Amino acid sequence: MLKILLATAMLIPTALLIKPKHLFTTTSAYAMLITFLMLKWFEQPLNHKPHSTNTLMMLDNITTPLTTMSAWILPLMIIASQHHLVTEPVNRKRMFLATCATLQTTLIMTFTTTDLTMFYIMFEMTLVPTLILITRWGSQAERLNAGMYFLFYTLTGSLPLLIAILHLYVSNGHTTMLLLAMQNTLTPNMTMIMWLACMMAFMVKMPLYGLHLWLPKAHVEAPIAGSMILAAVLLKLGGYGIIRMIPLAPQMTQTMYFPFIVLSLWGMIMTSLICLRQTDLKSIIAYSSVSHMGLVIAATLINTPWSTAGAMILMIAHGLTSSLLFCLANTNYERTHTRTLLLTQGLLFILPLMTMWWLVASLMNMALPPTINLLGELMILSSLFNWNTTTIILTATTTLITATYSLYIFITTQRGTPLPNKVLTPTHTREHLLMTLHLVPLTLLITNPALMF
Amino acid sequence: MVNVIHFVREWWPVTLVPIGFMVGWYFDRKNDEKLTTFRNKSKLFQRELKPGEEVTWR
Repeated sequence: MLKILLATAMLIPTALLIKPKHLFTTTSAYAMLITFLMLKWFEQPLNHKPHSTNTLMMLDNITTPLTTMSAWILPLMIIASQHHLVTEPVNRKRMFLATCATLQTTLIMTFTTTDLTMFYIMFEMTLVPTLILITRWGSQAERLNAGMYFLFYTLTGSLPLLIAILHLYVSNGHTTMLLLAMQNTLTPNMTMIMWLACMMAFMVKMPLYGLHLWLPKAHVEAPIAGSMILAAVLLKLGGYGIIRMIPLAPQMTQTMYFPFIVLSLWGMIMTSLICLRQTDLKSIIAYSSVSHMGLVIAATLINTPWSTAGAMILMIAHGLTSSLLFCLANTNYERTHTRTLLLTQGLLFILPLMTMWWLVASLMNMALPPTINLLGELMILSSLFNWNTTTIILTATTTLITATYSLYIFITTQRGTPLPNKVLTPTHTREHLLMTLHLVPLTLLITNPALMF
Repeated sequence: MVNVIHFVREWWPVTLVPIGFMVGWYFDRKNDEKLTTFRNKSKLFQRELKPGEEVTWR
């Protein structure tokens, strides 16, 4: 495990010291190599929980897929950002790559740590490089506001978690997640407060409907790399946290989950409807993330084996799909310099091959077979139906609206008449590679979904 | 000779990631050894080894 962690950490000095002409090739090649080395983790018997440990870190069937996905996103972030960084001086390119590598290192540590205190520290550590990415490399003045929202929502949400962890330390003498699940010394009233305090941080991070207002701002204002990592991995930190926290107070979850599930299911419908009336391409994708994460929140809270497996699959599927959609939105933005849907119509006639990627991405987003998105949604939908039959009204409506807005994105960007007097550069091989690298895991994972839970 | 020096100056940062990997490998191995110190010594898992068997568990 340290093999991967230290190699990823060494990407930071590599990005700072390598000769400028080898900068992008070396960092993206090494990032990809580290991801391939990571695939060996899947060879371990994943039903042994955890299958690999040292004194501070562990790997199990929840950690391994999420860590591998975040490692997979890093080279894709580097590939996607090349056009964005082309005008920047070399030192800023170095800083950008070093920031991405730092973020990756902290993410691996967040996912693999066994200690709650360490988890909290690393959870907060991921905020710093992300904030730098948003506020330094975002393209509009509103990025500062977006960064502020992002930081303060997450910090305020996670302060109760810090207090809860400190309380657990005082009452138990340690904060190891695996042991805390086995011994519980808290009174029922205290457990309720603890449950709320622990969950609030992750509900903000997911985000739960009502606590989600930081997300569209951050996604829209962030540069492409920031949007990719936010949608693909940082939202999943919330889901991961909920899955990890529930064993600490399983009975309390049964008492407390009702309002949260109702809010997340209602939020799914609301955010899907919001998607239908957005004018900004990135904003639609951001709201679509909130909608999909609502399903994950509901699934993790009812906490049955099927729903947790479905949540894991949907998290991986959504991570790759939304990252792909952001990349596609960015290829449009780099050519037209606008994210407004009405100004980027008729791309089918100008960039026909890109239309194919848009179609595939839209179909993935609306969870068409044979994608893992469908598998995840089906597992969650059926376990929610089993929990309470009425939920099918809400989940089925959301599925319908998701299909509608996915097609709405596709039709508005690709059909219609292109605006006159617009000279668009043709697509690059780099962009096609980027889309392919998103789609390869999405399509291959359906052959063995058991890798993800 | 000049070519070698030039090559090293150009490419030495490329070695940093493999160095990180090797250091990590060393510490992983050391940690595994620490965890297996009492293998085949505890009362629960202690037994006579079969011929050709190295350890009771891996």
